[in-house]
Amino acid sequence: MVKNAWQRWLDRRLPRARQVQLDQRRIFILPTGYGVLYLIVAVLLFFGGVNYENNLILALCFLMVSLFVVAILHTFRNLSGLMLRAGGGRSGFVGGQGSLEVVLIARRRPHRALWLRWLDQAAQEVSVESGEETGLWLNLPLRRRGPVVPPRLRVESRYPLGLLRAWSLVALDQECLAWPRPQESADCPAEGGDRERRVARAGQSGSEEFRGLRGYVPGDSLSQVDWKGYARGRGLNVKLFEEPASGRLWLRYDRTDELPLEQRLSILCYWVLRLSRENRPFALALPGAELPPGQGDEQRQRALDLLARHGKGG
Amino acid sequence: MARIYQVPSHARLWLTLAIIAASLPQLSDGPWWQAVLLVVVLGWRALLDRQRLAQPGRLVRLGLLLATVGATFYSFGRLHGPEAGSALITSLFALKYLELVGKRDAYVLIVLGYFVCATILLFHRGPLAALYVVGCLTLLTASLAGINYSDTHARRRQHLTVASAMLLQALPLAVVLFVLVPRVAPLWNMQLDSGQARTGMSDSMSPGQVSRLTESSELAFRVQFQGTPPPPDQRYWRGLTYAYFDGTTWRQARPPGWSDADTFYDGRGPAPPWYRGLRAADRGPAWEYRVIMEPSQQRWLYALAVPFTDLDGQGLARDLRLVADNPVSGSYGYQVRSVPAAAEGLDLNGPERRLMLDLPDTGNRRARDLAASWRQRYRDDRELVQAALRYFREQPFHYTLEPPRLSGDTVDGFLFNTRRGFCEHYASSFTFLMRAAGIPARVVAGYQGGEPNGDYLQIRQYDAHAWTEVWLNGRWVRVDPTGAVAPERIELGLRGLVEGRADAGGDAVAGALGRLPVLFRVQQWMDYVDFNWQKWVLGYRQEDQRALIERLLGAFTPTRVALALLGAVLLVTAVLAVLVLARRRDAPARPLEREFARLRRGLARRGLNVADCHSAAALEAAAARRWPGAAGRAGHWRRYFEYLAYRRDGDPPAGELRQLRRRRRALMAGLKA
Repeated sequence: MVKNAWQRWLDRRLPRARQVQLDQRRIFILPTGYGVLYLIVAVLLFFGGVNYENNLILALCFLMVSLFVVAILHTFRNLSGLMLRAGGGRSGFVGGQGSLEVVLIARRRPHRALWLRWLDQAAQEVSVESGEETGLWLNLPLRRRGPVVPPRLRVESRYPLGLLRAWSLVALDQECLAWPRPQESADCPAEGGDRERRVARAGQSGSEEFRGLRGYVPGDSLSQVDWKGYARGRGLNVKLFEEPASGRLWLRYDRTDELPLEQRLSILCYWVLRLSRENRPFALALPGAELPPGQGDEQRQRALDLLARHGKGG
Repeated sequence: MARIYQVPSHARLWLTLAIIAASLPQLSDGPWWQAVLLVVVLGWRALLDRQRLAQPGRLVRLGLLLATVGATFYSFGRLHGPEAGSALITSLFALKYLELVGKRDAYVLIVLGYFVCATILLFHRGPLAALYVVGCLTLLTASLAGINYSDTHARRRQHLTVASAMLLQALPLAVVLFVLVPRVAPLWNMQLDSGQARTGMSDSMSPGQVSRLTESSELAFRVQFQGTPPPPDQRYWRGLTYAYFDGTTWRQARPPGWSDADTFYDGRGPAPPWYRGLRAADRGPAWEYRVIMEPSQQRWLYALAVPFTDLDGQGLARDLRLVADNPVSGSYGYQVRSVPAAAEGLDLNGPERRLMLDLPDTGNRRARDLAASWRQRYRDDRELVQAALRYFREQPFHYTLEPPRLSGDTVDGFLFNTRRGFCEHYASSFTFLMRAAGIPARVVAGYQGGEPNGDYLQIRQYDAHAWTEVWLNGRWVRVDPTGAVAPERIELGLRGLVEGRADAGGDAVAGALGRLPVLFRVQQWMDYVDFNWQKWVLGYRQEDQRALIERLLGAFTPTRVALALLGAVLLVTAVLAVLVLARRRDAPARPLEREFARLRRGLARRGLNVADCHSAAALEAAAARRWPGAAGRAGHWRRYFEYLAYRRDGDPPAGELRQLRRRRRALMAGLKA
């Protein structure tokens, strides 16, 4: 109950955004254990000074207390003005780790010894000097298939003196995908093409007819780049082959065995990976979604993403 | 998830320096083995950091700890008390450094460091000591900044800069707290007895005792008058009275059967009749001043005759002297109002009168005869006193710091044989003569004179003096036989006397007193600093705070103090916050950007709208369109700007910037055409 109320309050106060700049509304600050010890020492010195009627010891105590107050300002300053932006995401398989990039931008002043962590993870330390920006990849465990929205990011700093801890709970609007965990299966849930050659002739892409060249775009398989032409200075091109209609594989959800949804997706995932590894073109058909034929890293990525999003509302 | 917090290497230097700096004072004060311990620990640590030696095991550490505790006990005979405690904590500080592994250890080390800093201040209280401790605090803070910044790219200097800046920012707030935080009375009594014998007055006086003091130029106390100070011959700082004479030595005494209650009032309980009598006679001119005593380890305080105080921390004795509640172990300040006329409020009857006339039954025959002959000639006490002073003046008495030794009947020996003596000889024999003639008399010991320095007087040990008080017309009257023999001693002080007549007797003192003028000036200046330090920092106590707050706020009430404290703290913190958090410009302007902005402003002043020109080329085009005659110059400027901006790495050197500026000016000048 309390936890939910706290979450609701946080969501109202610090809503999710692509980019967040830390300011007094978002920064919390409290003394650390060491800070409390430090104050206790100051109080002990106060009594020492009083009892020995020693004004200098009192002055030392006052100086320590003042230093604490100054440390509040400096610790706050170390976080204040820090800009966090949602960076890229790296998806992963269920049971593995995905990671999300947080870009830290120091616009006005350096921000040092920052500790960033998702609420239940180990922290990473980073410093950003004034006028610089740094990207930090934070791992995220992937437990369930689908888009994974990270919990709030805790940005914490005790710099400069470790007497106080200033922190903010930042909700960055970013996500990564948890792909289904590949599950090996002997039967390829595919149709179209020649069923016999599906495994035996795997990797034999040379049998297709050469159709022509087109300019390289990121995501094309490097094995199809026309390296000879590149070496002759004709630019980076990709060889295109006329695929025999019979060689086009359609991985189909409805051709998998009668298994629970997740397992069926896992099997499809296995085949997507395997076909990609063998550098063979394939297409994917899921209930309600379809991926046109293609090959290469881009195709693989699209297929995996499609599998991850299946049934997760986009 | 557990992390091992290693202390980063760039923080080590500051930590090591902090340990050495904080331990040094204790090493110079404490037993020798502490220095050995620190050197061993530092050496071990250095080898350990270079992986030449292993981390000491638990047994070794325990052994070292026990050895340290044992050595402390051996050196001091105990483990508590300021000296032993300081030694112990400093040693523990060093030992902790040996087992420094992670951040946690560093934190413990730094906390111990604060205590070590406090122990330094326990024994050293000068302005330099305070500065030194601030230095130690800076090093400790730099270590803290270092261990909290584990980035390997951090530089050492950075930590020190951060620490110094933060301490500087903390100073104003610390001053506010120092001035305004209410001082509470000690919760329990702690005596800091450094156990050193100090030069100063003692509670008895025998020949040669005071003259020994004149060899010391140590400061006894300082006095600051509100208004003009009395002339030198009125500055008799009374400290003790000696009422009992055993033939050689004068001692403090009170009439038989009298108790503390009869002779001493410290403000607690109802005032005794004699105190009420003194108070009733409180009229006429008065001196108001503040005395700041150096530590004397004694309870008696110094003041001009009939000193009234607020009786807070000290009391008044019936023989008109101030007595502190505790021995003066640190510098101690008190405010006095001296009313010479109040002396009339006392009486002298019964056992007290008998005590003031008391002499040994036998001895010093000739002096008694002399007194008897005066008694026969002068019926009036006053005339008798004058006759005695005349006797000292007219007979060949000499004032000297190196009087011949006396034995047997010391008074007779001095009065009729040697006739060379110092103030205690004169005071002692004069008092003897008075008592022998039937006039109640006593010896007063204290200081006389004082050297002005700035707005206060310094009274040094060589100003020690002894004189006599006789009971005349119902009050104690000061009579100084030394003044009859050597009036310049009273007028000029001993220092003036020695400088004035460099005779054989004075040369010995000249060593203690005569210094090079420049050195003397420097010393006086340092003493001035020291005095103000004592007055405003060390001596800033409840009453000063009260007076200050009353002056600032009108009244001293808890609410007002709390409000003042809160207000001042908030104000200072707010100013600090503005300073610390002030927004700087988003990006620091580079020289080229400034040049660009200047040209834009210049063109805008000439009425050219350049708000949407964001490149040098756009500026050039706009200027050339408006002033076709300046097109060449505009291109000239643009090319050079682009050369500087894109062909070079970093900011261009000053010479090239100057060149760019010339081209800009030429362009601006060409716009008129």
